[in-house]
Amino acid sequence: MTILYDEGQQAIATESRRVLEARSSIEALLPLLESVGEYHRPFWDTAKEQGWTALALPETHGGLGLGLVELGLIAHQAGRSVSGAPFLTSGFGAAKAIELYGTEAQKERWLPRLASGESIGVIAFAAGPDALPSRPDVTLTGDLLDGVARGVSGGLAADVAVVLANGPGMPVLTLVDLADVERTPVAGFDNSRCLADLGFSSTPAEPLAVGHAARDAALHILGLQAVVTAHEQTGGAEVLMEIARDYALTRRAFGQPIGAFQSVKHRIAELYGLVELARANCIHAAARESAADFIIAAAAARLSATEAYDTAARDCVQIHGGIGVTWEIGLHLHMRRARSLAIEQGSSLFWEDVLVDRLAGEAA
Amino acid sequence: MSDLEIYRSKAAAWLATMAPEFGRDARKGLTEADDLALGRRYQKAKFDAGYAGINWPTEYGGQGLTHLEKVTFDAEEMKYGFPNFYFGISLGMPVPVLMQFGSDREFVKERVLKALQGEEIWCQLFSEPSGGSDLAGLRTKAEPDGNGWKINGQKVWTSWAHYSDYGVIVVRTDPTVPKHKGLTYFWVDMKAPGVTVRPIRLAGGDSHVNEVFFDDVKISDDHRMSPVGGGFAVAITTLMIERYVATDSAGFGPHLDLFVDLAKDIALNGKLAIQDGRIRQQIARNYAMRSGLDSINVRARLMMQAGMVPGAEGSLNKLVAVRSRQKLSELAIDLQGTDGFAFDEHASQKEDWASSWINAPTGRIAGGSDETLLNTIAEKVLGLPQDHRPDKGIPFNQIPA
Ligand SMILES: Cc1cc2nc3c(=O)[nH]c(=O)nc-3n(C[C@H](O)[C@H](O)[C@H](O)COP(=O)(O)OP(=O)(O)OC[C@H]3O[C@@H](n4cnc5c(N)ncnc54)[C@H](O)[C@@H]3O)c2cc1C
Repeated sequence: MTILYDEGQQAIATESRRVLEARSSIEALLPLLESVGEYHRPFWDTAKEQGWTALALPETHGGLGLGLVELGLIAHQAGRSVSGAPFLTSGFGAAKAIELYGTEAQKERWLPRLASGESIGVIAFAAGPDALPSRPDVTLTGDLLDGVARGVSGGLAADVAVVLANGPGMPVLTLVDLADVERTPVAGFDNSRCLADLGFSSTPAEPLAVGHAARDAALHILGLQAVVTAHEQTGGAEVLMEIARDYALTRRAFGQPIGAFQSVKHRIAELYGLVELARANCIHAAARESAADFIIAAAAARLSATEAYDTAARDCVQIHGGIGVTWEIGLHLHMRRARSLAIEQGSSLFWEDVLVDRLAGEAA
Repeated sequence: MSDLEIYRSKAAAWLATMAPEFGRDARKGLTEADDLALGRRYQKAKFDAGYAGINWPTEYGGQGLTHLEKVTFDAEEMKYGFPNFYFGISLGMPVPVLMQFGSDREFVKERVLKALQGEEIWCQLFSEPSGGSDLAGLRTKAEPDGNGWKINGQKVWTSWAHYSDYGVIVVRTDPTVPKHKGLTYFWVDMKAPGVTVRPIRLAGGDSHVNEVFFDDVKISDDHRMSPVGGGFAVAITTLMIERYVATDSAGFGPHLDLFVDLAKDIALNGKLAIQDGRIRQQIARNYAMRSGLDSINVRARLMMQAGMVPGAEGSLNKLVAVRSRQKLSELAIDLQGTDGFAFDEHASQKEDWASSWINAPTGRIAGGSDETLLNTIAEKVLGLPQDHRPDKGIPFNQIPA
């Protein structure tokens, strides 16, 4: 696949940006921080209506048959408007897990619903600090799950989850209908992520992959989500760079725009460097979706995008001075989102390990 | 034991007895009003025990000791999470400046005593919407009005203005001269007619800073604390005190021990984080940075004790410590993975990584932004040339907006 966007892809970028800019606002997003379990419903409605939920799923099951490139373009725009419901990424990951590792019956049951956005899918791999534990906290006995999957992004609102469980002496990737699962909301610094602990007690689960294959599958799914998330992070970093530039042009101190001070000017130029590196890595990773080195490309995208978004959040606030730390101006929405995205799909520490293991030929 | 060590152990013992009534646990779940009331009682207890105004003159209710006893006490006090930040600005800058420059000495004495006992709180009205870094660019004006003055304009970022009884303020009294020359320094009664305080909510959720509006606020000339047109020098004195106050090598965030404990608890990729090279490197580098600052501070204390003037390296404290606190807090969140997401708006910035992280940006801006501090070091300490300043030497009212 090429790493130049074609006309159709460019149109996706332009159109999704137009739609999202028209439909999201800081005023709508701020209140989400103050309640636990609410997400930005207009965003999700938009995602469904525009077909974004179906975009990267197979046509045979109600999808549009496009891929990571197109989904990434939309995620980039979602990142720009900090809009969101956490499900675009995790819904895609869950659907891909079913598509790649599920039975025909599982596909027929879930994929059309996930494609239409009628059902929401999430993944639950991590156990707190460990993004992909070799012995997960959740245990599978026979075909029943027990235990708690901690900190599942989107977990409060999801209908179906792909859970990495500890089976008899080996990990098992399972598919779980969440209808009767107990959910405990987690109050966090970015509440619109709908984070929840999912409590399983003799909950029926269907295996998707077992043993080594389960871990490989989980890493692959995490990689796919990481690439979508990296696009979202890059979008966030990009818009912060623009906000910082605009402010540096208008805010004056000592008789001149603050952008005339080299420390401010260089800070914004450094952001440009971080954003463009992240963008290039994202484009490359999305284009490597089916290649053997995909996970390496995903790790690079993820690492550079996390750095770009965190740094842009820090620097954009700093360039604003006092006004940057107020509630109303909403830069903290980005600060919070930068941090929640940084830990949701495996932190930088995790991806550094994955990357170095691969480069050193020590892949687990 | 040196005298100072004796002082330290006595202070530590006294502070320990205060902890149950005023410490961190006693404050849990209090409303801000109740916490402030508790803070006032704590401040009174400090006063009664001889720990308020430690390095202030005895005739104003202080203890007449040195800066050394003061910082020794502060270091011990910091451990308990007492409700003392309401008085941080008040006793930190405005009241000492009043003590130095207030003209009516009886009035000054009364105010200082009340402030020391936690009865009255003062705020510092410098920054404005048009600029904080560019202090001399302020626009709030005072015009002659009968025997006194009339103030009009707006201040912003005024910490604790909503609880303040008085404030110190810099205003423009002459717009026709270059910006530094047309400023005058006053104190104002925050309850005077025409003063309106409006809280601003910050990113971390709380609202301890405010906008303050002045609408034909009348003050008499005895409120003046500088010559007319000589306010900038007094403002700079105030800011020098402010810089000097910021000495916590943890950047007012969690102590490094807490990070080490976290790393000992958490497994990354199958091995304990404390065994991970990246984590070890951060711990080592943070330690080196913090120990450097601690040593700078101890050395400064010893020099003062010996009657010498400490070097300019003390100006690194806030700059270096808060930046590294911000990044270390991010790393602590990364380390906890999805567990790091949990957040309690009321958790202490000194103990909770998410709270430390979300509030860190204010530390890089309040009391002089990183960039201003770097400019000061570059220009004042290292003698490097000033940036080009198009407003230099031009009458204030002719500076292009
Ligand atoms: C929590 C908090 C509490 C505060 N409490 C008080 C208080 O009690 N009383 C009070 O008077 N003020 C208070 N302040 C205000 C504080 O002093 C100012 O916010 C600060 O000085 C920065 O000013 P500003 O916000 O106007 O930013 P600006 O001055 O507009 O700065 C914007 C950006 O430009 C940069 N910049 C400006 N000039 C230069 C330059 N010459 N070279 C390079 N870069 C430059 C700054 O570093 C910053 O990144 C408080 C602020 C905060 C956040």
